[in-house]
Amino acid sequence: MGEPRSQPPVERPPTAETFLPLSRVRTIMKSSMDTGLITNEVLFLMTKCTELFVRHLAGAAYTEEFSQRPGETLKYEHLSQVVNKNKNLEFLLQIVPQKIRVHQFQEMLRLNRSAGSDDDDDDDDDDDDDEEESESGSESDE
Amino acid sequence: MVERIEDLNLPNAVIGRLIKEALPESASVSKEARAAIARAASVFAIFVTSSSTALAHKQNHKTITAKDILQTLTELDFESFVPSLTQDLEVYRKVVKEKKESKASKKDSSTAENANASATAAAAEEPAE
Repeated sequence: MGEPRSQPPVERPPTAETFLPLSRVRTIMKSSMDTGLITNEVLFLMTKCTELFVRHLAGAAYTEEFSQRPGETLKYEHLSQVVNKNKNLEFLLQIVPQKIRVHQFQEMLRLNRSAGSDDDDDDDDDDDDDEEESESGSESDE
Repeated sequence: MVERIEDLNLPNAVIGRLIKEALPESASVSKEARAAIARAASVFAIFVTSSSTALAHKQNHKTITAKDILQTLTELDFESFVPSLTQDLEVYRKVVKEKKESKASKKDSSTAENANASATAAAAEEPAE
């Protein structure tokens, strides 16, 4: 249906109600070491702000992926992608890391190794043999 | 203070509802995605809090103000949040003010009318505070 493109739907009437529990948000705020007194107003604002962030993150991840075909499932991978792409989400890189397949990781290791010094390879030869065995399936892809 | 790390989790049901609101009706959300968003939201709150605290300290203030948070959001590249949050804040302030006023006027009128009723009303109201 007529969805706004690339703009997550953040519009909604302003309200003094919160969905997330204020007490929990207070606990979270207090966990930051040197937080002083937290006034009710600040607590309200932070709660609203966190709610907005949840909507924003979900909306951004979804529109990025499915703006053309709504009705799909929002998956973890879409989140890690949007976190990777957006500079203001940089602080989440370690919280929502990109998943990687084992054989991709092994490929990376191999590339790293060949990029590094060749002398070190002697020690690792045994490992390499094992990897090649397990990867016989992926080779047929090429 | 925080005793267990789970104390920093936001309730799953509420997070799920917020996500649903942000997506088209036909969309669904995987469990893993919802958990990741919930975690991200906690971290976001900590991130904004500590940044706002730093900003307040820079100005020799001990307590964070609403203004600090809004300014921090702009600095962190979330300025798109500011207009709608400013509106929420306005409504919130109005509600708080109205509550205060209605309470004050209630007390005034009830003391004028009959002392008995006000005494019971006050007794009923006080613990709720």
